[in-house]
Amino acid sequence: MSPEPFVAMRGITKRFPGVLALDDVHLEVLPGEFHAICGENGAGKSTLMKVLSGVERPDGGSLLVDGRAMAFSGTRDAERAGIAIIHQELALVDTLPVMANVFLGRERRGPLGLLDDRSMARETAGLLETLECGVSPHAPTGSLRVGDQQLVEIAKALSLDARILVMDEPTSALTESESARLERVIAALKARGTTILFISHKMEEVFRMADRITVLRDGRSIRTLERKETSPREVTSLMVGREIEEAAKITPRRPTDEILAVEGLTLPWPGHARGYRLADISFSLRRGEVLGVAGLMGAGRTELLETIFAAGGPNWTGSIRLRGREVRFSHPAEAVRAGIAMVPEDRKRLGLFPDLDVGANVTLSALARALRGGLISRQAEDALAAGPLRATGVKTPGVHAAITGLSGGNQQKCVIGRWLLTDPAVLLLDDPTRGIDVGAKAELYGLIDRLCREGLGVILTSSELPELLTLADRIIVLAEGRLTASLSRDEADEQRILEAATAG
Amino acid sequence: MARERSGRWPIHWTGEWTLLVAILLVVAITAVVDGNHSYVDRPLESLRDIARNTALLGIFALGAAVVIIAGGIDLSLGSMIALSGTISATTMLALAPAEVMAFKPVGGLVVAAAIAASLLSGLAVGSLHAWLVTAVRLPPFIATLATLVGLRSLARALCESTTGAMTPTKSAIVNVADPFFKMIRDNVWIPVAVFAVLAVITWIMLTRTVLGRHLQALGGNEEAARLAGIRTENVKWFAYCFSATTAAVAGIFYVANESVAAPVNQGRGHELNAIAAAVVGGCSLTGGVGTVPGTVLGTIFLRVVIDAVSKIIKTGADVYEGLIVGVVVVIAVTFSQAGREAAAGRGLLPGGLGLCMVPILAVFIGGTVAMTTGGLAGLAMGLVTAAALAGIRLWQSRRGVGA
Repeated sequence: MSPEPFVAMRGITKRFPGVLALDDVHLEVLPGEFHAICGENGAGKSTLMKVLSGVERPDGGSLLVDGRAMAFSGTRDAERAGIAIIHQELALVDTLPVMANVFLGRERRGPLGLLDDRSMARETAGLLETLECGVSPHAPTGSLRVGDQQLVEIAKALSLDARILVMDEPTSALTESESARLERVIAALKARGTTILFISHKMEEVFRMADRITVLRDGRSIRTLERKETSPREVTSLMVGREIEEAAKITPRRPTDEILAVEGLTLPWPGHARGYRLADISFSLRRGEVLGVAGLMGAGRTELLETIFAAGGPNWTGSIRLRGREVRFSHPAEAVRAGIAMVPEDRKRLGLFPDLDVGANVTLSALARALRGGLISRQAEDALAAGPLRATGVKTPGVHAAITGLSGGNQQKCVIGRWLLTDPAVLLLDDPTRGIDVGAKAELYGLIDRLCREGLGVILTSSELPELLTLADRIIVLAEGRLTASLSRDEADEQRILEAATAG
Repeated sequence: MARERSGRWPIHWTGEWTLLVAILLVVAITAVVDGNHSYVDRPLESLRDIARNTALLGIFALGAAVVIIAGGIDLSLGSMIALSGTISATTMLALAPAEVMAFKPVGGLVVAAAIAASLLSGLAVGSLHAWLVTAVRLPPFIATLATLVGLRSLARALCESTTGAMTPTKSAIVNVADPFFKMIRDNVWIPVAVFAVLAVITWIMLTRTVLGRHLQALGGNEEAARLAGIRTENVKWFAYCFSATTAAVAGIFYVANESVAAPVNQGRGHELNAIAAAVVGGCSLTGGVGTVPGTVLGTIFLRVVIDAVSKIIKTGADVYEGLIVGVVVVIAVTFSQAGREAAAGRGLLPGGLGLCMVPILAVFIGGTVAMTTGGLAGLAMGLVTAAALAGIRLWQSRRGVGA
């Protein structure tokens, strides 16, 4: 006989204007288990967790905790029932110190009614210690790395005596070592009897940690599986509703002549102990080649791409040669004109224009091509947008649809499509598949491969090693701003890359 | 679940239609309620008043809107109006002191020089704003707050030193009696035509030019705009110059209208009316969103309401203008957000604050009615408001909304 579920959600339904976000969802979480929720973007995972944590009220269905029916009207109610959630976008006040965030809204007070900072700091320090987090309770939260900020959220949950911890894609912004630390923390929490509900795209970590897996698709709960009785392949196929081919092994490409050469690139970092963000980086890129850039968070991957694109600080030294000619751009506009394009790492913050429609997002950098008699012609612009939308395979209800209504993968294709209109010779892709679901990733891989075969030189960074190993012809590895390895496709494997990435 | 944005375009359209309907409704109500029947008996005169006021406000409301759409804010427009007016008047005084003092025509060339100097001052102030924002890296709010205070003072200093040098006595005003300015004052169609032409140009600029698209992109996501290869500093430069220049144009009209350049008071506080018109017309203060038709309708709505209230309660429009603008902005923006707020399940009068707002709103509304209509009516209105709000509050807590 199976134990009583700790949390039971029965027939949960949630409707937003125009969307049925959750449709008769069933979920049972057993006490002390690690339960993973898998599903593509838009499957309803986050909405379900919002219902569980009292952020959203369901339109139908029932929620039982310890067998008792609950109707949460806010996160406070959920916290009282022992449910704490760590959202994908962390909910911390950057300007406050760590301990103030841990006790936000539940501040301890001394005899005079003034804040009792000492007791809060002591308890925060204790909690952080159990979480292997070496930051001071007095440090401003905004100065912490994402991984540490997440641990602060977990400390907050622990201080609430949460019995169930809900984590919404916690590792999507973490480096490999931070993810490993989080896994250890989770294992320790589980040993203490905390129930974990974990949302993730990453099959590897799900299969390493989960006891059971529930798959959501299109707002419906498809199935709950025992980890031991299933396989990543089965789970992903349930997620997308069809079998996915393992990212097809890409046949060798034939790179031609050198297009970009970087020599002795150094980017200073004034006021930092290390003194540099990038030190003495040299590499070259050929047409028809994908150069992978591996490295942990803070290794300088983004800074490298930004320096080439003139989007970062101007104080770099060394040389960048494009088509054999030395270049030093002072603004991204010059880099674009010279034939360089960059897809930035944070799509929402740096890539998209939420108020412009799909077409306008695509044509933005090449609008001059849609001018007729000095004014933008609607027909010409639609025609201009149609090309890249087709080439990148964007699925959209129309050229004039809201860009925010598209899935992450389609949004990213729009950003790539924007650059296809500027006829680039070099395409810089900074972690282009972050936060994109499995099916769309495979499509993006295909797109990148095709563009490369058409003669583009591509530099690709990724926080996921398998992605680099699938796509890249060569991989350079950065560690703390230095280039520590340059590996050919045959030499590269996860072990070697990780060794180079952690080389001090 | 793109619910937060997906509803944008219908709201957009309904917003403009709603404004149009609201304008007609306000005019109709005024025509019926106004005891003097001025809309019915003297339609042309009323129309002329509203048209002049709308055109004057609308000219620089377009400037305010462009900066807001570009993600900035220009708080200095009122002071820019004063500076521009003063520059045109002092230019005439400097070039033709005898004629200005004798209230005689100064000649076409001098008028042209005065207008050119005004417009140039707009470009100069706009460039100053752009420099403060992009190079000195001040937030637009601070940069234009500084010039809001500074430019008016500068205008007054300019007025006093020019009058000190050119006339027997220093003065904080310069009278302007040139026939060109009189002609502008007496022909309402001139400011209206300038407003209409400017609106059409701005509309085409925003919807059909690369620059307009870049303005929207800049306001929607500045960093992404830079990474898309847009020279964001130049786009801002244009936006602030456009805004200051519209205020410079308006400054010339104010001088013409009042036959005087008076830097101490001319245009004072008008920047907020312009921002209000843009916001009522659908511009989002977070940038990236807004249209010219919306801004034009917002301006008309604001002026029509101000005119209606002054007609109905028969006091000078200026007494209640600020109150009206404030209330209109709150109501207009509340309505455009109503859908979102209801979805969030928040009531209008939540918690302790909601409880406190019942008597506070009752006193505000009752007091206003008491001052405009009479003590007894005010008392009654206050009580009715209190009862209605208390009812809403009770209904809310029954439904379990809020808290």
